[in-house]
Amino acid sequence: MLSKKLLSALLCIVMVLALHVAHAQDRTVTGKVSDSKDGTPVSGASVQVKGTRVGTSTKADGTFSLSVSSSATTLVITSIGYETLEVSIEGKNFVEISFVSSLGTNLNEVVVTGYGTARKKDLTGSISSVKAKDFNKGVVTSPDQLIQGKVSGLQIINNSGQPGVAATIRIRGTSSIRSGNNPLIVVDGIPLSGRTPRPGNSLNNIGASPASNPLVFVNPSDIASIDVLKDASATAIYGSRGANGVIIITTKKPSSGQPTIDVNYTIGTGSIMKKLDVLSGDQYRQALTQYGLTTGDYGDNVNAFDQIIRKTLTHNISVSASGGNENARYRFSASALKDEGIIKQSDLTKYTVGFMGSFKFLDSKKLGLDVMLSTAQVNESVVPITNDAGFEGNLVAQALQWNPTHALIKPDGTYWIQPQFGASSINPLWFLKMYDDQVKSSFILASISPSYKFTNDLEYRMLYSLYQGDGRRYAMVGRQLLNIDRYKDRGLAYIGQGNERTQQFTHTLSYNKQLNSNLNLNAVIGYEYIKFQYTSSGEVAQDFEDIGIKYYDMIAYGSQSSRSVYNYRDPSNELQSFFARAAFNVKNKYLLTATLRADGSTKFGKDNRYGYFPSIGAAWNISNEDFMNSVNFVSNLKLRLGWGQTGNQEFPSGAAQTRFGVSGIGSLSQLNVANPALKWETSSTANVGLDFGILKSRVNFVIDYFSKKTKDVLFERDFPQPGASSAKQWINSPVTITNSGVEIGINADIIAKGDLGWTFGITSAFLKNNLEGLVGTYNTGALHGQGSTGAYVQKLASGYPINTYYLRIFQGIDKTTGQAIYEQDGDVSFFVNKSPNPKFLLGLSTNVQYKKWSLTANMNGAYGHYLYNNTAQSVVPITNLGTRNVAASLINTSVVENTSNPITSSTRFLEKGNYLKMSNLTISYNLGGFAKFIRSSTISLTGQNLFVLTDFTGFDPEVNVDKNIGGIPSLGIEYIPYPTARKFQLSLGLGF
Amino acid sequence: MKQNKILLIAAITFSLTACTKLEEKLYSETTSGSSGGGGGNPASLLQGAYRSLEPLFMDQARVWAATEHSTDEAVGPTRGGDWDDNGIWRVYHNHRWTSEHDYLTATFRQLAQTQFAATTVLDNNPTPQQAAEAKFIRAFVMWHVLDGWDQVPFRATSLGDLTQSLPETKKGTEAADFIISELEAAIPNLPSGAGLGQASKDAAKALLMKVYLNKGVYANRAAPTFSAADMNKVIQYADEILAGPYNLGTNFFDNFAPNNTVIGTELIYTLKADNGAGIGGNGAMFYDFSGLHYNMNPSGWNGFTTLGDFYDKFDATDKRRGGAYTGVTNVTGLRVGMLFGQQYDQNGTPLLDRKGNPLSFTKEVALKETGNNLEVTGIRVMKYPPDLVHQFPWDNDLVVFRLADVLLMKAEAIARGGTGTNVAPYGNTAASIVNYIRTHPTRGVSALGTVDLNAIYDERGRELYWEFWRRNDMIRFGKFLAARTLKPEVSGEERLLFPIPNEQLVINPNLTQNPGY
Repeated sequence: MLSKKLLSALLCIVMVLALHVAHAQDRTVTGKVSDSKDGTPVSGASVQVKGTRVGTSTKADGTFSLSVSSSATTLVITSIGYETLEVSIEGKNFVEISFVSSLGTNLNEVVVTGYGTARKKDLTGSISSVKAKDFNKGVVTSPDQLIQGKVSGLQIINNSGQPGVAATIRIRGTSSIRSGNNPLIVVDGIPLSGRTPRPGNSLNNIGASPASNPLVFVNPSDIASIDVLKDASATAIYGSRGANGVIIITTKKPSSGQPTIDVNYTIGTGSIMKKLDVLSGDQYRQALTQYGLTTGDYGDNVNAFDQIIRKTLTHNISVSASGGNENARYRFSASALKDEGIIKQSDLTKYTVGFMGSFKFLDSKKLGLDVMLSTAQVNESVVPITNDAGFEGNLVAQALQWNPTHALIKPDGTYWIQPQFGASSINPLWFLKMYDDQVKSSFILASISPSYKFTNDLEYRMLYSLYQGDGRRYAMVGRQLLNIDRYKDRGLAYIGQGNERTQQFTHTLSYNKQLNSNLNLNAVIGYEYIKFQYTSSGEVAQDFEDIGIKYYDMIAYGSQSSRSVYNYRDPSNELQSFFARAAFNVKNKYLLTATLRADGSTKFGKDNRYGYFPSIGAAWNISNEDFMNSVNFVSNLKLRLGWGQTGNQEFPSGAAQTRFGVSGIGSLSQLNVANPALKWETSSTANVGLDFGILKSRVNFVIDYFSKKTKDVLFERDFPQPGASSAKQWINSPVTITNSGVEIGINADIIAKGDLGWTFGITSAFLKNNLEGLVGTYNTGALHGQGSTGAYVQKLASGYPINTYYLRIFQGIDKTTGQAIYEQDGDVSFFVNKSPNPKFLLGLSTNVQYKKWSLTANMNGAYGHYLYNNTAQSVVPITNLGTRNVAASLINTSVVENTSNPITSSTRFLEKGNYLKMSNLTISYNLGGFAKFIRSSTISLTGQNLFVLTDFTGFDPEVNVDKNIGGIPSLGIEYIPYPTARKFQLSLGLGF
Repeated sequence: MKQNKILLIAAITFSLTACTKLEEKLYSETTSGSSGGGGGNPASLLQGAYRSLEPLFMDQARVWAATEHSTDEAVGPTRGGDWDDNGIWRVYHNHRWTSEHDYLTATFRQLAQTQFAATTVLDNNPTPQQAAEAKFIRAFVMWHVLDGWDQVPFRATSLGDLTQSLPETKKGTEAADFIISELEAAIPNLPSGAGLGQASKDAAKALLMKVYLNKGVYANRAAPTFSAADMNKVIQYADEILAGPYNLGTNFFDNFAPNNTVIGTELIYTLKADNGAGIGGNGAMFYDFSGLHYNMNPSGWNGFTTLGDFYDKFDATDKRRGGAYTGVTNVTGLRVGMLFGQQYDQNGTPLLDRKGNPLSFTKEVALKETGNNLEVTGIRVMKYPPDLVHQFPWDNDLVVFRLADVLLMKAEAIARGGTGTNVAPYGNTAASIVNYIRTHPTRGVSALGTVDLNAIYDERGRELYWEFWRRNDMIRFGKFLAARTLKPEVSGEERLLFPIPNEQLVINPNLTQNPGY
């Protein structure tokens, strides 16, 4: 509906524009286009009047001649292998155009470095920049998906297939042993908290729903570039929040010139990428006979899983308009997305509206003002696919387990609420009917940034930003969910509220000057203050009647004894920082960058209010040395060295001081044992990098070696009891976490000739992780489901990688008893020297362009790690035979497993996680301009998650269900997640 | 000039926003146990300490599991796909637990946390009664640590920077003497009578009886000797309690009913469960839920059972072995006590298990059930009649001390060399006391001819099954290590103590691992 409305609105705009386009063509512009390097003419380049479809192409000698209207001011020149160029024709009838090759890496490209920018050739740190044209294509709900597989050393795990769910993002491995391993994300100079205002939902016997993505409010089509700051010499400018790396998202800036409008509409369909193989009704009957079981056949043939999934429809429309003159520019954008989930009843709709303005004042134009306002509304319909469902299972488990011989719906059309094979088994279709969970989140991100140029070299800038996020959640469980006593004949309603607000002041003074012919200085000093606020509250009630009103809409009328309210307002959280950076460039050969940041935080104990984070980076542009002049095949050679210290302060506020909290009506408890010395954790990173370009920079290598040691590791240790009710205490533990590795990125322009272009890119990283100095061991990786209460599979332990597996060792099934055999009778677990941390990450991308056709493919993969399949262990084990369904792989095996073989966590369910996923394949056709008013048009077809090469038997090897224990994160455990969708999308882009 | 103005404006904006002191403010919490105005809020802290007992005693995986699953009264068999839980239940019963056992670790930790919660009351200007109640709570949990682990980590204060300080360790007899002195000091300021959800003089006296009765155990668990002086203390406190309004009532199971604080006549100390006030955690639900089959009403988790050998210790007429209970059996068909054989719904229709077999509980049970009947093995225990009004949580107060326990402790103290005293109607000998209980209409079994220590031990089992006391009793009577049906080997002496959890051992050098672990 909504997209229809938007479409008709757009048509109106188009009509209005068309009226304005009918100008007389009254002059002729001629010119010549030649290669900037060697001056050879460029033929076949497209020359177009900006904002119109008037254009021509260059002849063999590079010349062109074009009739333009009197109002035309700018030409746009494009060609395969060259940077798109805009040339002013005001007052000119002849233009000489020097066309810069886009092959290889453009060393003059601007890279965002945090509180400033730098040319790529001036960089000393390890920074990867991904521009919009290289983003993963197709509709994505969160911007992190745009760069998956695009940056060496960056691992992005889409934790599950649920639209809008949080991703696990790791830059150069895991360097912390508590939550808060995700990098700092900065949007247009505004660092995000990493939290979301969306209230969680954790219902008894149903479980906790997965967290949502904190970037969901960003409109992906507004993004111009994403820069990933990897080593400490780059991230130290973010001080106590830089240790996990920094991802800087820069949105599209207003451009001057005739107003342009870009519209993109995408329609897509999705279906499940992979199903798990459980028995069909007939196979089940066969298995019952084979096992000599007399019960469990109810005569039908049902595939319950197929009943909860669907083919989906996705619409996305985005519009942007931009224009203005040199002194006042604007950009306006809006988008609407409706993304259906492949599980029935789940979807995400998202609306964004953004405005950005850029103004210059005073005669001197020295006073500038940038304003930005971005709003988003995200609505989700969530299904009960939880992280930690117990024996009752979540929706996916219930569908997998449903006895395939038992009908879901009775002949009279009513549901089998309590099936014959077990009254506590839940009919997934009935569960969907009984469960209703709506989340509505709204976001505002606004900033105002005045600036003043004292001289051409010295600029002051202030940034004030406000982020406000409000989340509401309305959930209910129907009273006719008879399978769970908690809800049977009672029902439950829940309303949750979350409210997050962040305010920020940043002042910077930057100085950028060519001091003399040999020395350039680019420096910035600044002050920053950020205040984070967070409140949450909720209401729960039970005992409702079914009278046609949603329980959550009449929550006040639950039974008095069942009604409860909770609320919590986080302790204040403020951050005050001073920072400085100076970058020297001597003769374009020797580069030196030094940064220092002092961070003060309310979180830190009173003995350690401020932390200091220095870094230094140096680079040598070897290819600019005279002795390299003769080495023709090397076009670029740069050696980079960097060292720095960065911090991490992702622990909850209030940990440094003693706190007493309300533990019930009229009841108070001491919550924690204070630690007045508590401070940030410190990572020291050394980085050696080599940038290497050959064959006129058509083949470029970026190789980095890094070693990152994290000390004073923030950790909630076990406290020597007796202690307060949290039982633990936040300390800076004498633990050392080492992450080291090598990253290799290769970009090659294999063919760039006339109409044909072919590029190929590889990103890769070899990673190693180790933990030393931990006192005792700590468990994580909690398992859930039948027979798995209290079981866990991972540990933090000295001498092992983080999250190393700790398991019973499975030795096979005994041929005579059919029971599993374990080392030492299964009474003991062992460190099995396997971990969920990949040893090797790989991203592959390629682009082939022929005339107006373009084909882009992106793949990503990870190797050398192990995943734990909690689904196989607890949801479809052989013990289900006779009542519920079992995995097909358990039947017709050479050794017959006894149906009483206990559900036991062991190496049996530890699987290799190696995979390579065709995450993105796009074919597009550039139709160009047509009619009078359409400047450009592109049509494209995108496939997402087309296939995965893997031996992992779960839904998707790209999985990370949150199975933390006491805030210690787990990694790489699959437990009945929301399955991944394979999607196809058709997209039409129009420019006016 | 213009530049200067702009500089000025910039400077002003800067100074407006610059340099805060970074004081962390709390909103939904407070930095002190004393509320505003310096008045102190020890009453709320005391409530907090009481509430912290709930997860310890109202959860199937804490104190109850440690004190019952390790004995001849209870076992948690693995039933095919159910209840393996990494073997955590089995190792309780077959005495193969280690210092990594998650539930033992959590139990040890939480007992110490309650100790700390009680200490915060003492540190925040309590009234004499509040201080006495806090001391009772502290003594109660310290006694459980002493009884289970022998070494009791202790912090005298909750104040000051505790980051670097380690708790001291009180061991064995020293810990017992400390607990006794704390309780005796507290008694004058405790409220009189029974402690229904709140510490009282009688509650403290019952706990003192436990400490005195076991003092010989804490001196030497493998071969305890009992002094007449200690036994006379047990008798003295018993007699003081027996002077109170307690009697054996009209129905044994009334003491465990949802309204047990109203109709129970034996209750001396209970942990409060009040559905309306949101107090009580899981209440006593786990007792029933852990054993109830999925197809029963209420539907349970089909887990824990008692053992055939234990069931056979009852006479067929013993009402404590169970039967129908009005308000439950006539509503859902569920009986109370021990559930053996075919189970029925309220209409008398026999129930089936999920595989369609008759739901008929058997005496035979194995640590790992593998047969087709794995859902029905083992006799289930429903000591607490379910609260059918409040399906969650229940209103049944959890019973800690009750009359029959006090009487049997007195009988035992006499049998162990204490001097018998006559309190009507119980008589002055071990035999008169035990037989009073046995022949009471609520128990309904005949008197025993001779009442020796073995008879008292068996009577304690029949009376107090699944009430947290079996491990303590078995050790005191020298039965704990003996071979049993599902533990065919005699356990090593080290099993008389639980191992100090590794979690605490590595961070507290004042603890040493118990011998043999």
